[in-house]
Amino acid sequence: MTDKTLVIGNGPCARSIAEALITQGAEVIVATKKDSADISSAEKVLSNTKLVSCQDSAGSFNILMNRNGEELSETVGNVVIAEEAVREPDFSSYELTPSPDVISLSRLTGLLSDGKSDELSGKKIVFLTGLAKESSPVILEDIMQSCLRLQSNFHAQTYILTKNLKVGGNGLEALYRTTREAGAVYVKFTDVMPEIRQEKDTGVALTFTDEITGEKLRLSPDITVVDERIFPSEDIAELAALLELDTDQNGFVQADNVHRISVLTNRKGIFAAGPSRSIHSPADQVTDAGNAVISVLKPEADQPETAAQVNKGLCVRCLTCYRVCPYRAIILNARPFVVPEACEQCGICTAECPAHAVTIKELTRDEISDQIIKGIPQKKETTTPFLVAFCCRRSAVRAKALASCMGHTLPRGLRIIEVPCAGGVSHEHIFSAFQNHADGVLVLTCHEGNCHSERGNIHARKRTDHISGILSETGFESERLLIRTLASNMAKEFADIVNGFEKTILDLGPSSLSQ
Amino acid sequence: MPDKNVLILGGGVAGLSAALELARFDISVELVEKTGFPGGHAIQFSCKATDKCVKCGACVAEEKLENVTENPKIRLMRNTCVEKVTKSDRFSVTFQTGPEYIDPDKCNGCGVCLEKCPSAGAVMQGFSKHHTPFYAICAEKCLFIKDGSCNVCQEACPEGAIRLDQKPGDYACEADAIIVATGFTGFDPKDKPYGYKVFPNVITNLEAERMLRQQDILLRPSDNKPAERIAFIQCVGSRDASLNHLWCSKICCGSSLRMARRIKARGPETEITFFYIDVQTFGSDFQGVYEDIREEFRMIRAIPGDIFRTDDDRLQMAFLDSNTREPAEEIFDLVVLSAGLTPGKDTEHLAGLLGAELADTGFFSSSRDGIFLAGAARGPMSIAESVASAGNAAWETVKYLSEK
Ligand SMILES: Cc1cc2nc3c(=O)[nH]c(=O)nc-3n(C[C@H](O)[C@H](O)[C@H](O)COP(=O)(O)OP(=O)(O)OC[C@H]3O[C@@H](n4cnc5c(N)ncnc54)[C@H](O)[C@@H]3O)c2cc1C
Repeated sequence: MTDKTLVIGNGPCARSIAEALITQGAEVIVATKKDSADISSAEKVLSNTKLVSCQDSAGSFNILMNRNGEELSETVGNVVIAEEAVREPDFSSYELTPSPDVISLSRLTGLLSDGKSDELSGKKIVFLTGLAKESSPVILEDIMQSCLRLQSNFHAQTYILTKNLKVGGNGLEALYRTTREAGAVYVKFTDVMPEIRQEKDTGVALTFTDEITGEKLRLSPDITVVDERIFPSEDIAELAALLELDTDQNGFVQADNVHRISVLTNRKGIFAAGPSRSIHSPADQVTDAGNAVISVLKPEADQPETAAQVNKGLCVRCLTCYRVCPYRAIILNARPFVVPEACEQCGICTAECPAHAVTIKELTRDEISDQIIKGIPQKKETTTPFLVAFCCRRSAVRAKALASCMGHTLPRGLRIIEVPCAGGVSHEHIFSAFQNHADGVLVLTCHEGNCHSERGNIHARKRTDHISGILSETGFESERLLIRTLASNMAKEFADIVNGFEKTILDLGPSSLSQ
Repeated sequence: MPDKNVLILGGGVAGLSAALELARFDISVELVEKTGFPGGHAIQFSCKATDKCVKCGACVAEEKLENVTENPKIRLMRNTCVEKVTKSDRFSVTFQTGPEYIDPDKCNGCGVCLEKCPSAGAVMQGFSKHHTPFYAICAEKCLFIKDGSCNVCQEACPEGAIRLDQKPGDYACEADAIIVATGFTGFDPKDKPYGYKVFPNVITNLEAERMLRQQDILLRPSDNKPAERIAFIQCVGSRDASLNHLWCSKICCGSSLRMARRIKARGPETEITFFYIDVQTFGSDFQGVYEDIREEFRMIRAIPGDIFRTDDDRLQMAFLDSNTREPAEEIFDLVVLSAGLTPGKDTEHLAGLLGAELADTGFFSSSRDGIFLAGAARGPMSIAESVASAGNAAWETVKYLSEK
């Protein structure tokens, strides 16, 4: 274990993380691709530096970097990605070409902060925002702050043309009212967007029907300001690929998964903060910095004793486990090795390993079979089917507990087998249930996009589909195996699913294997 | 920091998260919750997944509460309110606890009390397995507490767990720092012209959340029939200059639209209409979601005027049609009011006790001198933001304690 932390980035978020960690006595290395770094207090500040590779896992990452062509290696305990996002004006969506009087929002804020007031004084300025693509409160805040300065200090007349005014940010509704009082004019569009024309000599002209009055209007601004899209930089994409991190649908580091709130990634010891994980306001960045710091200072307690283990005698080095591990907790030495500190015990590797070489204590065939056998109803009445439900600990087990509290009646012959993730429910487990007299087997897993192991529920579905196929081929009723998704707060649905399933099984009668 | 003790006020998702973060530093936490049911608002919400998770975050509250109840460093006190705070080197705080009408050790959760209670709302059911006892007595509605006229639940309880003559107790603690995570209060729309509390089929978004959580379907309270035509009215009590509520509640568009999509996914024939001012962004795939909802629902950019009840017990609503710019009328079976987030009921009182400052909006404004803020006590925010805000408050607390 090393206490060193590598912070990647050079923006305000990276800076506050590095500085806060240093005040707590942590050793910090800052790396940025930029040619100068603004963080001076760190142990080591590496500008012009690019990550090349990252080996090993939580607790000790072996990092290779390239600084101006020179190779550097470091061993660190944690990595924090706090890169900045990029902004790109959306000229093409509005069919506009940038020109001295058609500019991006950043160009305008630049002019304002440089004090280039002559260009703006007394001008008629139109902002186009969220007309083509939905915008965000971060952009709206910049627009409104600019409007306020333009109206108050430069005697400009500002117009904001938008679809949905994104006031869903702190203080933005109040700011919206202030800008209106200062003279800014807002025009909103619902279905029909304004017609925008850009002519070489006459500039931009906008024509539209005012939705409130029905009046036909025409605006010929001196300056048209086009809003921007915020998205992850190429650096972020590269880092995510190098560090094998899940990303969201926009390419930000960190899967769109509630289990990653707020700065967690799919890998222990690697955190994503601020604009590298989503669109962030300056205040959000401060919050994220605090979260990154607290996560680095005190990592979660590890439970290595229950981590997966690879049996050397059985392993055929097919590398299936290495490929499927969602937490990248398996590294390759001579053969795959599970890093206990990085393992989350989901069991996906144990269920996928074709050689049965990977095991987790509580998920072995014997362990699970024992639990099933204990559930076999004592005197098996023909009317109570024996149902075995493999339930994910995070969702279905909790839903079952709540269903009981709420007084829902559940099937008498229902046996709950708690698993850390449905992705760990193997062919063997399911067959063992049928062999041990189950009349029906349920696999209850989290909704797609809600799995802590990201793809455990998808593995579970693939496996049950496969088994259902086999069952039908052998003439065994495939309806006896059912997979459903649930969340921890879905007690009623839990009851409905298991009771509905009991009914299906009652209609089918006892399983031919259970006699 | 095993010698440190931090007091957290409010057991919502923010308070729970802050407690868990601090406990990881070996700090002892007193987590004080005013009601009998920790978990705050979010513990009452339904899962809004259609077939996929839509990242509403409601399940997060469930998980945090479970982790808190299992954590030996955290002492969770229910039914507890602050009475006095004095600060010298540390904070000395006294509380009123209880009355604990239902003995958690005796209650077996059978629910007979709720079944037998003649006063609607006087016995409340919990929302989580970690609500022990799973039932609570609401003092404002209980007839025994009002005038001693009824003790049916006490008589009926098979375990003898109910004692309606319980008196409040007190409690005191010393703390090195305080985190305020007392959340928000949902806007009460009774003064809006929508007939809330007059027409049973006008409900709030919070009531809709609870109903979906408990029954998996939205039923009309008047006849328990599924609603075929539902209207959602956004921005009730938010963005409202007449109330001086100059804020957007941020989460209502996401919450209501997700609820609506869930309802539509289970009952595709349900017709849903949305009355809105501006649709706020939620989730990381909002562009796609926005395009879909415009297909799935009727989106009307207007804030309706009055609501009337028709002879056949439906709800008639008048609004200005933005297409024709003419007054229009529509009839619905059920109306859901997206009541916004307003400052917590005892925010002002608490601010007085703590010497904390409030913003113009009436929410808590900034942390200082060993008092830190987390979650929606600072202003409207989502569950994810509340958790993040709590993580940051925990960091500020750790920093403060390490410098002390
Ligand atoms: C109808 C509705 C739907 C929503 N849907 C979503 C959604 O889908 N997704 C999402 O992300 N967000 C949603 N939200 C927002 C969500 O409710 C908040 O983000 C979250 O509840 C904030 O958590 P909190 O802990 O800060 O506050 P709260 O949930 O309000 O919890 C505060 C806790 O403090 C307690 N308390 C108050 N005063 C005191 C006191 N003086 N002493 C001790 N304890 C006290 C309260 O009893 C409560 O338990 C929704 C909100 C509403 C109203």
